[in-house]
Amino acid sequence: MFPLIDTAYFQILAFTVLGVGIIWLILITFRYLKTESNKQQLSLIDQINALLPQTQCGHCGHPGCLPYARAISHGAAINQCPPGGKHTIQALSILLNQANEPLNPCHGEHTEPLVAVIREGECIGCTKCIQACPIDAILGGTKLMHTVIESECNGCDLCLEPCPVDCIDLIPRPGKQLRQWPLPSHIDVDQHNIGANP
Amino acid sequence: MRFLSLFNHDSSRIQLRKSSGGIKPLSNKASSLRSRIMSTPIPKILVLPLLQHKGTPAKPIAKSGDRVLKGQKIAEAADASSAPVHAPTSGRITGIGLHALPDEFGTLAACITLASDGNDQAIKTTFTADFQNMSESDLLERIRDAGIVGMGGAGFPTYLKLQSSNEHPVDFLIINAVECEPYITADEALIREHACDVVTGANILKRVTGAKQCIVAIEDSKIDAIAELKLAALNSAIQIAIIPEKYTAGSEKQLIHSVTGREVPAGKYPASIGVSLHNTGTAFAIYKAICEAEPCISRITTVTGSTLKTPKNFHVLIGTPIAFLFDLCGVDQTKLSRIVVGGSLMGTCLPDINAPIIKTTNCLIAGSAEEFTEPQPEQACIRCSFCADVCPVNLLPQQLYASSRCQDYQQADNFGLFDCIECGACAYVCPSHIPLVQYYRASKSEIEKQRTNRHNADKWQARFQFHQYRYKREKKQKLLQSSSIEHQPETEHNKQADFSREKARLEISEAVARVKARRSKLITTSSVATEREDKP
Amino acid sequence: MNKVIYCSPQLNGQQSIGKIMLWVMTACIPGVAASTWFFGWGTVLNILVTMIFAVALEALILWLRNKSLRIHLADNSALLTAVIIGIAIPPGSPWWLLFSGICFAIVVAKHAYGGIGQNPFNPAMCGYVLLLLTFPLNMTTWHLPVDTLFDELQFSTLSWTSFMFSLQLCFPALTSDDVQLTEYLDGFAMATPLIEYELAKSSAVLVALKNNTSLFASTSNTGWEIVNFGFLLGGLFLLTKKIISWQIPLSIIMTITVLSLLFYAPGSTAVYGETYLHLFGSATMIGAFFIATDPVSAATTPMGRIIYGIIIGVAIYSIRVWGSYPDSIAIAVLLGNFFAPLIDHFCRPRIYGHSTRSGL
Repeated sequence: MFPLIDTAYFQILAFTVLGVGIIWLILITFRYLKTESNKQQLSLIDQINALLPQTQCGHCGHPGCLPYARAISHGAAINQCPPGGKHTIQALSILLNQANEPLNPCHGEHTEPLVAVIREGECIGCTKCIQACPIDAILGGTKLMHTVIESECNGCDLCLEPCPVDCIDLIPRPGKQLRQWPLPSHIDVDQHNIGANP
Repeated sequence: MRFLSLFNHDSSRIQLRKSSGGIKPLSNKASSLRSRIMSTPIPKILVLPLLQHKGTPAKPIAKSGDRVLKGQKIAEAADASSAPVHAPTSGRITGIGLHALPDEFGTLAACITLASDGNDQAIKTTFTADFQNMSESDLLERIRDAGIVGMGGAGFPTYLKLQSSNEHPVDFLIINAVECEPYITADEALIREHACDVVTGANILKRVTGAKQCIVAIEDSKIDAIAELKLAALNSAIQIAIIPEKYTAGSEKQLIHSVTGREVPAGKYPASIGVSLHNTGTAFAIYKAICEAEPCISRITTVTGSTLKTPKNFHVLIGTPIAFLFDLCGVDQTKLSRIVVGGSLMGTCLPDINAPIIKTTNCLIAGSAEEFTEPQPEQACIRCSFCADVCPVNLLPQQLYASSRCQDYQQADNFGLFDCIECGACAYVCPSHIPLVQYYRASKSEIEKQRTNRHNADKWQARFQFHQYRYKREKKQKLLQSSSIEHQPETEHNKQADFSREKARLEISEAVARVKARRSKLITTSSVATEREDKP
Repeated sequence: MNKVIYCSPQLNGQQSIGKIMLWVMTACIPGVAASTWFFGWGTVLNILVTMIFAVALEALILWLRNKSLRIHLADNSALLTAVIIGIAIPPGSPWWLLFSGICFAIVVAKHAYGGIGQNPFNPAMCGYVLLLLTFPLNMTTWHLPVDTLFDELQFSTLSWTSFMFSLQLCFPALTSDDVQLTEYLDGFAMATPLIEYELAKSSAVLVALKNNTSLFASTSNTGWEIVNFGFLLGGLFLLTKKIISWQIPLSIIMTITVLSLLFYAPGSTAVYGETYLHLFGSATMIGAFFIATDPVSAATTPMGRIIYGIIIGVAIYSIRVWGSYPDSIAIAVLLGNFFAPLIDHFCRPRIYGHSTRSGL
């Protein structure tokens, strides 16, 4: 074998390859940075609003999810949304780089999905609930039967208050509530944390 | 590595490609193959869930108290992604209610309970054994009517699968007789004794799909079954592919790649690449439906485990309670520690032994504590990558585990969490005894829940925005109206409008009073007190 | 019926971390046996003393961290670290050297990052590099009972005398004024076998074969090469047991082979030695099969492992030839550990059904 590196040939080749390699790396880095900056940046309020559950229920003390998002961007607490639960609080804490807090109980409890149901025998057709519903999930007309469209109702319970005959109930959403496997717990590796105990 | 198949009619041979990953556990199949398939006596009660397949539950057409005959349809398909349910034997329907399904959570679902009368009287049907003269649409209609679903465990309605393969030209029809999972021997026993019927079923499928090639894939360790299959396929155009023994070689996507060299694109079905894959049990059920006019009312199920005196394969009626089958086999209750539905690697624990056999139950294992030891405590991941070496889908299980454990669901999705087939090979080889499949299942359900929540939030936001727009629009219209009204003199019409508002208020208060009176009457007369807080 | 519902799979392969570590330690036996045959009891004593320290330290830390000793000591990871460090540290080193090395390796390099599975750097190599930097003289001095340069046998390597010699080097407090014992401290001291002039020699094994002398005689100078063959044997054994993957050892060895062939320059500048000597006249074999393949700190994907091996191979060769350290395995492996997360991020396998590699 011959000592390759002593020849000028080899050295020129080596430097060319090295130079091309460095330039290529620089170009890739620039391209990567450019695509990152090109991504659309939503305003902070829109980003916060995208994390909220959009039930427009008002439990947080603000008249809807967008006003609450605006308030959060001005420094309001992030743990005031019961329908969002701890997942929303966690997502908000990550977005805003704030501490993760438990849900503030004075705004309500996080429940399973609920829907409103009108007891049709008692409905008097006053349309007050229709006006109260923020997402138009109640079907009906003046002096005609009112009914909640179950697939559209989000359980915000704004229709319960205005009803003069008090004929609306909030019940757990009917349908197959599928059980699921929980994440294995890690309190201590030495306990036998296996499986789910249904 | 290329492996050439041993038998073929035409000179073209099937070239098998090596599938990635996979493990070679002990097969534990010998004990249940020692005897022939046994028929079971008719159980007194049969429980038939309305949802035994992937899709929407069937709609019952028979009512409680009806007398039904064997093979009679008692629930019809609710929509295109549903399958009908038939009575496995003659008897009387005692009820339609909630009953535990044979899954790990004991989910309660709507089931039809049938009390058998012991006569096993079949419904009268017109019986045509000559399927060659039936048109494809007739065959398809018969298959749909018979309620046949994927019997290998997936439970996809076969009619739907065949229909989607009609939209794309089918190059390969594959009958999956590989059955790689330990303990399960149902397909092997079926081929050993009914190879001709399976081949006929395959031919029917070939006709219906219009496939260019029909291949039966079988594992190389099933020697008797291969011999029977070769004999049965002697005069047909069916090719036999012999797959080297390995767990996950029989998984649908891996088998398709092995036999045809094509990969099923993520998120799509095999029909999109011109492949139609069906289980052996499905082919047999199709034969029964077309040639013997028997709908999907029975299946072969392996009942095995070290606590049984006589493990074997049974020809069971759908809806047989599992406890009944175990009593037939002579189970040693003192040693029984774990009941598993399915094989030992993808099977699930059974909480309720009274759950019924459904169309997709292919195996039951009554295991002892020595056979199914307690899982050892989970330890830290040592990044050994044994899991990545055995993953048949080329995922990185250690990264999926790390993302799932940190609940970083976006990252888990990026690493291909939804491509995971939950075969269990990674958890099988993990030296730290990490329950990997549980992590993936928990993450998948969490991600799906988040997706549903996101979808709902978008829907409600759109509705809310429209509500606001509508409100503004109405207000603007009212303003326009009132501004135009202001310039008009007070007319009779306006007076009436005012008057009607008054009238409405009066009517409302009368109606409220009526309802209150009715309600107070109900409270005093009924014995059950209603809990409502009084509103002013 | 089932009180607890277990998630599938219902069976597992009965593999455990303890068993894997035990197999790796077993695979070290041929190399250590060869080392004992040629160089005396030093290595074995090193290993034993380090093991005792390792278990004691690990137990202490686990107790401080409130972890169950029964489960975590059973994973044998402390023992394996001790074996590797024991082999790496020159025989005849005093006990406090061993203690410092293993203490840093287990307490700082492993447990300070979170315990097994969490350390980004190879703990044994961290301990070795610390010793190299803080006690350079001790780390480059090998006490041998046999004078390899002058072909004179002072005493047999496997004798009781040799053992006492190694013991006294390890625990200097055992030396007494007894004349007979102090005599033994005159054993020859040399730098670790891979020193610059060694690379200029031709293979001792080939020379021995040509001269028809026994490979195992201490006069034939084949010692270090036989030791490497022993570790190669152990490494191949691990490969057949599928405990380590083939990508890392193969890429390290291939890279060193290619580089040494490329830069081979026989003559006065003896560092550009033969390929054979680079592979077998140094610690390459143990580095390739036992040290670089430590699962926790290495890259994990197949393609990633090849690149990881290439980086380590380039580093081993460069530092050995152009750097100033006698052997470069430790530093090279640590360099590879720096790159491992980056390599894992970019080198992902293509998932079945996807046309491109998964999103980064």
